[in-house]
Amino acid sequence: MVQAAMSRGREARESGGFQQHKLAPYAFISPFYILFAFFFMAPSLIALVLSLFRWDGINDPRFVLARNYGRLLSDKVFAQVATNTAIYAIASLLIVLPLALVLAVLLNAKSLRFSNVWRAMYFTPVVTSTVAITLVFQILYSRDTGLLNAPLIYLGLEPIYWLGDRSWVKVAIIILIAWRSTGLLTIYFLAGLQSIPEELYEAASIDGASMLQKFFRITIPMLRPIILFVSIIVLLGSIQIFDEIHILTSGTGGPANASMSVVQYLYERGYTRLRLGFASAVGTVLFATVFILSLLQLQWYGVFRNAD
Amino acid sequence: MDERTGRRLGVIALHVVVISGALLTVAPIAFMIYSSFKTTTEIFTLPPWLPPAEWSFKNYETLLTSWHFPYWYANSIIYAAVVTIFVLFFCSLAGFAFAKYYFRGKNLLFIILIGSTMIPFQLILIPLFILMSRIDWVNHPASMIIPWMAPAFGIFLMRQYIQAVPSELMESARIDGASEFRIYAQVIVPLVRPGLTTLAILTFLGSWNSFIWPLMVLRGNEVITLPVGIATMRSQATAAQIPYGEMMAAATLVSVPVIVLFIALQRYFISGLTIGAVKG
Repeated sequence: MVQAAMSRGREARESGGFQQHKLAPYAFISPFYILFAFFFMAPSLIALVLSLFRWDGINDPRFVLARNYGRLLSDKVFAQVATNTAIYAIASLLIVLPLALVLAVLLNAKSLRFSNVWRAMYFTPVVTSTVAITLVFQILYSRDTGLLNAPLIYLGLEPIYWLGDRSWVKVAIIILIAWRSTGLLTIYFLAGLQSIPEELYEAASIDGASMLQKFFRITIPMLRPIILFVSIIVLLGSIQIFDEIHILTSGTGGPANASMSVVQYLYERGYTRLRLGFASAVGTVLFATVFILSLLQLQWYGVFRNAD
Repeated sequence: MDERTGRRLGVIALHVVVISGALLTVAPIAFMIYSSFKTTTEIFTLPPWLPPAEWSFKNYETLLTSWHFPYWYANSIIYAAVVTIFVLFFCSLAGFAFAKYYFRGKNLLFIILIGSTMIPFQLILIPLFILMSRIDWVNHPASMIIPWMAPAFGIFLMRQYIQAVPSELMESARIDGASEFRIYAQVIVPLVRPGLTTLAILTFLGSWNSFIWPLMVLRGNEVITLPVGIATMRSQATAAQIPYGEMMAAATLVSVPVIVLFIALQRYFISGLTIGAVKG
């Protein structure tokens, strides 16, 4: 049978084999481009066009030019959700990223025993269902009986109203983000650490450099491209945050929008209230932000290469 | 204090910090599993390490009998499995073309591929949903599968793996008269199993844990997926009667199998996540 198949193959080759060789790659890549055109490119263009219309999905769309954008910029709630999202992004950059970097260095230490066990433990949040773990955190944050308030209750102090206070709710979300994403960033940094030549550290040791000196003079500069790469991942992830906040605040983004993210706002305006044109404008602003960040990434890489 | 004692103290401190952090990280998961055996009142009783008055699988029983949990589980498995099979096929095929062929427009097509990853999913969230309702795919399995069958990331990942396969193997198969598709199926695929495993894990996991899209396109207790179902358990209950015990049982059943899988296949998972980082 194999023989038969092979001789058939040979015939095919003799007649149209060359053609096949030329056309095959186009056939192989076509599924992506077809799906991309239908389900990503077309909706993207629809979003751009729709952002100039007022539409509830039922009545005829009405052309309003840039009015959706104007309304967006003067909307107090949008200002609030943009600020919230920026707070999550900055907290991730200033708290989660350094935490992951230090953790990677510790996990990479040669004197650490059973390092595989600890690594596996740190990485579990990466694969754990966001919905499942957020429900757990909701219990941990409960005001009168939550574990996080236990020390305060034990000491007879006023418990924190984690999910009901405008400031604390953001802290609660940042803690959850830190729990969820530190492990993931650590994976990236650990991969980066493998690429630093061991000799650099040995030479520094001979010169009598301390641990801290090695960290700031060798590890950080050598990891610079990875740190930039991870920073962009962190920013992009923060801008698109939805699941954690939606579940933790039971879909409200409350109290009084104090925790709502941009994507939650988009979901609420577009999906719940059917303000499709307006939500598309929000999506377009989001796209512009992501696009600029990606360009910045290229720029930074350029700067880095020149410095080399 | 001599240098030796100092180094010993350093090693001990390293272990103390790393181990306490690791325990802190898995604590919420331990809390979740432990709570799944407790009643709602017991879950909210401090301190949390107090054992339940009676160890029982009651939460699990209620979950399986009074909720549509078995449906949610089956739906999640089916969607994740079907998407994964398509993704493996389409991404390895396209990755093969980009790794091993020279063709007109290849560079431009590759730039489009990479550029497509710059479109945030949220931009198309609303219009894609409108599109789905226009073609009657809301509450239809196709909306959960077809748009997600050929992700750019997967093609890029497979391209990286296939580039490492020596081209001579292809040439000798071609001399033997094998068609291009046969070269893919019989020469390339067997040699990039680790890459396919990596892609399978990442895809399955992404589908298994996805939330916002199934939340929008699936309606009805019998068709929704696990994460949406669990979220519904909370939102459908009145504030005083949220079934926390059953929710913790559900959370355990949705995450523990995946964590076990991850521990078993860690190596593949991590190589998949870092392939872009190190090369980039």
